[in-house]
Amino acid sequence: MNMNRRNFLKTAGLTGVALALADLGFNTKKIEASTKEFKLSGANEYTSICTFCSCGCGMVCHVKDNKLINLEGDPDHIMNEGGLCSKGSAMSVVPNSEERIPTPLYRAPRSNKWQEISWDDALNRIAEKFKKARDENWIEKEIDNGEEYVVNRTDAIGIVGGAQNNNEECYLMAKMARALGVVFLEHQARL
Amino acid sequence: MSMKWVMRAKEKGAKVIHVDPRYTRTSKISDKYVQIRPGTDIAFLNAIVQYILENDLYDKTFIISHTNAMYKTNKNFEFNEGVFSGYSDEERKYNTDFWAYELDAEGKPVKADSLDDPQTVFSGLKDFYKRYTMEVSSGITGIPVETIKEVADMVVNNRPGTIMYALGMTQHTVGVQNIRAFGVLQLLLGNIGRPGTGINALRGEPNVQGSTDFALLFNYLPGYLSYPNHNKPKLENWTASYGSFRAKFLIHLLKAWFGDEATAENDFCYGLLPKKNANENYSIYRIFETAMEKKMKFLYIMGQNPMVSSPNLSVVHEGLSGLDTLVVADLFMTETASFWEKPGCDPSTIDTEVFFLPAASFLEKEGSLSNSSRMVQWRYTGIDPVGEAKSDLDMIDLLFNKIRDLYKDSSEAKDEIIKKLSWNYPTEKKAEAVLREINGYNLKTGELLNGIGEIQADGSTAGGNWLYAGVYAGNENLSKRKDNKTDPSGLGLFPGFAWSWPGNMRVLYNRASCDVNGVPYDDEKKLIWWDEQTKKWMGYDVPDVPVATDGPDTPNGQKPFRMNGEGVGRLIANSYSDPDYVNQTARDASSVPADGPLPEFYEPVESPTSNVLHPKVQINPCLKYPRIESKQPIGTKEEFPYVLCTSSISEHWCAGTVTRNVPWLNELVKETYIEIPEKLATKLNVKNGEKVKVRSARGEIEVKTMVTHRLQTLNINNEEVTVVWMPYNWGFKGLSTAASTNLLTIDAGDPNTWIQETKACLVDVQKV
Repeated sequence: MNMNRRNFLKTAGLTGVALALADLGFNTKKIEASTKEFKLSGANEYTSICTFCSCGCGMVCHVKDNKLINLEGDPDHIMNEGGLCSKGSAMSVVPNSEERIPTPLYRAPRSNKWQEISWDDALNRIAEKFKKARDENWIEKEIDNGEEYVVNRTDAIGIVGGAQNNNEECYLMAKMARALGVVFLEHQARL
Repeated sequence: MSMKWVMRAKEKGAKVIHVDPRYTRTSKISDKYVQIRPGTDIAFLNAIVQYILENDLYDKTFIISHTNAMYKTNKNFEFNEGVFSGYSDEERKYNTDFWAYELDAEGKPVKADSLDDPQTVFSGLKDFYKRYTMEVSSGITGIPVETIKEVADMVVNNRPGTIMYALGMTQHTVGVQNIRAFGVLQLLLGNIGRPGTGINALRGEPNVQGSTDFALLFNYLPGYLSYPNHNKPKLENWTASYGSFRAKFLIHLLKAWFGDEATAENDFCYGLLPKKNANENYSIYRIFETAMEKKMKFLYIMGQNPMVSSPNLSVVHEGLSGLDTLVVADLFMTETASFWEKPGCDPSTIDTEVFFLPAASFLEKEGSLSNSSRMVQWRYTGIDPVGEAKSDLDMIDLLFNKIRDLYKDSSEAKDEIIKKLSWNYPTEKKAEAVLREINGYNLKTGELLNGIGEIQADGSTAGGNWLYAGVYAGNENLSKRKDNKTDPSGLGLFPGFAWSWPGNMRVLYNRASCDVNGVPYDDEKKLIWWDEQTKKWMGYDVPDVPVATDGPDTPNGQKPFRMNGEGVGRLIANSYSDPDYVNQTARDASSVPADGPLPEFYEPVESPTSNVLHPKVQINPCLKYPRIESKQPIGTKEEFPYVLCTSSISEHWCAGTVTRNVPWLNELVKETYIEIPEKLATKLNVKNGEKVKVRSARGEIEVKTMVTHRLQTLNINNEEVTVVWMPYNWGFKGLSTAASTNLLTIDAGDPNTWIQETKACLVDVQKV
């Protein structure tokens, strides 16, 4: 068995409990069974990387019934060796928060409220607005110092994001933006 | 978390110096705390450099071997009255050709016989720095002369030494030159490339390394390839400017984007790419400013909340109000998406339509991200997104497919690029598929590339980012690796843990950890070395050399800074284009800072004093501000007598979109406040916890006061200067709401990077 520190701690913890209780004259067989009820028993585990600063600290997440029930610093991670800062250790709140917005929303011009809309509706309308802004504000050529240059761009569309996004998302954003003629491509690199 | 390693170093005897306008928890554990006036780092660092130069405390062997110290600068190079040669007053711009080396007939830099030759870079350096005496520096920074000397002795006597910095150094109109000042200091001390040295950016966002690598920046394509300008209509024009070395990577990228459509005959579809105007700035500030002018119509924002985090927020608000359509994808409702609900704002006057798209959090999706050490790590997931939320990856894929569909019947020339783009991603394991495209393929064999060395300039390889070639080497996603046991170096390199670009290299410039013969300076703590028997560079780390078999007796064996054409560290950032004799063009043309080849001290745009070095050139001479006069007033010290420094805090993060929705973080710190020195509190008759009005030329807010002795008034050029500090993490949405500090801050930007000067502006403070 490839015993990493995380498994070691888990096993040592449970064995320790069993041994300590056995010393007191308890039936360890029964206790072993009851450990199944421990918070993390039966939970699936996956690892992630923290979403705040750029240290790249490892996190271990525990899931039961598609619900994140625990999150802690990964003791086998070379960067944080199990530690997390105040913000990182608070992240189990995020997938369980009632403040999360569950559906796409739309706010009409001059309206004072949001209304729920479907994904299909949202994406269709966004695609159309995108096309409209692109087509109506297309710059094919530009003259500089008496010389004409083909520039093929629009200055009417901005795309902003992603130091919170994964690499693959950033890459597709850049690829999409440039393919659609967008030069106003930016993100929070300065924050 | 990086403090964990600072503490570990301290336990082993390292000395810690902390330089900050405010005494913090970091100061508490430091051996020496230095209180500095915001915006004066260059004056402080340059005095240390001057002390090192004056007393011959530099690493002579290192600078002769690994820097341009011995190179000759051209005879016209000079610095006069606050500006370098090549400056145009009218354009507020330099012609950087004036900073060139003296070149020989082959176009290679001429080297002098001795450091003391009056034409050497080193002599130029000495000449430039001599104005930075301890006394001048002390007057500018407010740091006592004896403290500057003590710090200078500490850095000289405790080598190797490393520098850790963050936005406190970069959010200035001299942000790039602040870091250049570090560069000169560390090169002189031999503190680059060896274990325990370097200049380390503690970057502020989880994947800001990746997002810049993938060029979510107007002026780059993925892999820091300069974005094509209007006056470079053909690939050969681009290559002439940026070099054949990088053109290879651009062709590799174009093949990934346009597949079979990209051929040598059609310039690999280079002509289809949109061209930006070379004279325009397309940074995020211009997005809001052009929206204000009704030129920007449609804005799509992913995971960013500029209505809290951007400076001079009234411009942001007016910009958002000027758009036709705003799309925001985020986890929680943000101040940006609901800008029309801002207190005091009448929604019926705002015509912008807004879409909010619920995004999956980092715990609900798979993918890789890159940390500050360029280490690419994989995020797994084990839960479904909340509600109907989707990952941004899925959103972009769906959206692009829908847009492409709208153009399917078009035969217009402008839509050709959409039709020719390769875009076909699977529904399952999408992130892995995209990472493979990024890694790149050999198109002849169909195999994934194993490294940058396999990339070809003839269009026979295709990959989305040359820097990431090898992340999928051997058909294995190396970002998933977790070997935390194997570390032959004993230095914490762990080569089998995840993967770092380029080529799993952990310490950049590690060639500089060896002498000219390829022998490590420190045999106890070595990274790489030249192995005479196998005739190869070998090591615990991947050697940072151009060719692993080119030994110290070849030119390639003496290029520790190989991304520069000349291959050595630039004490003065001399402009240089390395000739490529084969292709009859430039091989490499590394950029130099736009605002000077050496770090000169300039006052912040809003300053409580005048520039004693050159009163006529008060601020960065390349700065263009205000851009829109009515919206960007500059406050004077008469009306706004105090210096405001702003930052984030440990307990909240950036715009607070996530952290202000976590109840226990709100319990730790619940609202915006202002820290003011006791002396100012006495003057204003304000007690701890009482409210004050803070006002700048751009806005005003009311916040509670924290009276502190963590800030002390400073003596600046014989006048008393008061510095105050505020966190900027709040807005009007989320579980914890409070005033936004960025209503006060200034949006003047560094001429290289357009980073805003949020670390130093002027305010007035009054009791409410």
